[in-house]
Amino acid sequence: MHVVIINGSPRVQKNSNTDKIIQSFGKGLQASGATYELYSLSNRQEWDAAREAFIGHDQIIFALPLFVECVPGIMLEFLESLPTERKSPAQLSFILHGGFDEGHQFRLGERFLQSLPEQFGCTYGGCLIQGGSFLIRFRDDEKMKETMTKKLDAYIKMGQSFVSNGHFMTEEARKFIGYEKNPWIVHLLFLIFIKRLVRKNFERFAQQWGCTRPLDDKPYLL
Amino acid sequence: MTIVLNTLEEGAVSGQISTLINGDMEVINTSDMKIAHCMGCNLCWLKTPGICAIKDDYEGILKKLVVAENLWLVSDTRFGFVDWRGKKVMDRIVPMLNMYVEFREGLERHEVRYHPLNFGLLYKGKADQDFLEEWSRRVASNMAGRSLGVIKMGEE
Repeated sequence: MHVVIINGSPRVQKNSNTDKIIQSFGKGLQASGATYELYSLSNRQEWDAAREAFIGHDQIIFALPLFVECVPGIMLEFLESLPTERKSPAQLSFILHGGFDEGHQFRLGERFLQSLPEQFGCTYGGCLIQGGSFLIRFRDDEKMKETMTKKLDAYIKMGQSFVSNGHFMTEEARKFIGYEKNPWIVHLLFLIFIKRLVRKNFERFAQQWGCTRPLDDKPYLL
Repeated sequence: MTIVLNTLEEGAVSGQISTLINGDMEVINTSDMKIAHCMGCNLCWLKTPGICAIKDDYEGILKKLVVAENLWLVSDTRFGFVDWRGKKVMDRIVPMLNMYVEFREGLERHEVRYHPLNFGLLYKGKADQDFLEEWSRRVASNMAGRSLGVIKMGEE
């Protein structure tokens, strides 16, 4: 199997969480004897080659972060530049992720992605979804590192699963999303404990970035 | 105050916008403005809170949104959804929220940086009305506001 993976994130590749997910997923593909080629839409220089690859291959995966409840504008722009008819059949699959960890946050984006393949004359290979990726970029203590390593390792397994099944329409891929909504106990813990901890983490990240203003600053209010 | 972001060609729809949206409004035609895609850099949340790292014409829009109650997007459609020109101006809305998270109506959300903002959509062309309504509700909910509706524009 040879897979074309297109990273639909606008963030530069070296900081892209989507790229880190793809790298792990790609390891899984290779471990199962498949090969892949990767294009990143954040780099306009790669658009022509990505388009050629989309046209010429039969196994295509778009990997993307959820942006304002759907596909990032930059990926929509790329999709508009693709031909809507094909000479040879292909399967279009998706890897969708985002900062929040609740599954329901991704359902509208998933619904849009489901509708795309047939508009390009492709079949749908399913959508692998998982949230909670904010810390992929920010892990700065041992516990976060451990959690995120585990998270990325799970994508290696899904790469292997993709090779053996040929798509994401499996029970294993369906369950990858986790909780649809956080259970009430998480809401309660969030209010009494987690909220403060999360705020402290964000403030620490901001400090590391040289931020000198409060995170809830209102710069344009007179 | 209502801000209307018109991503269609300037002038083509001004008559329809003023009949379909009521009240005190300012229409901003974005088609001739310099607006880049959000690059997801997170600087507006973690380095310069509320200020976008991209220095282009969107900063003027943000300055108007902080005193607006309602935001309408006027957009063409593609693949059953708003097209990339319409989505692009919504992707840049991120500085209106801040990094902190909370549960609002039982859902994980970012805090609004200024105040709630209602959201509505006027669209042109063939699209999935039901899908757009759900998108509009979700976009409004992210900004702690309500959906003002999704209206299909007539042919010119």
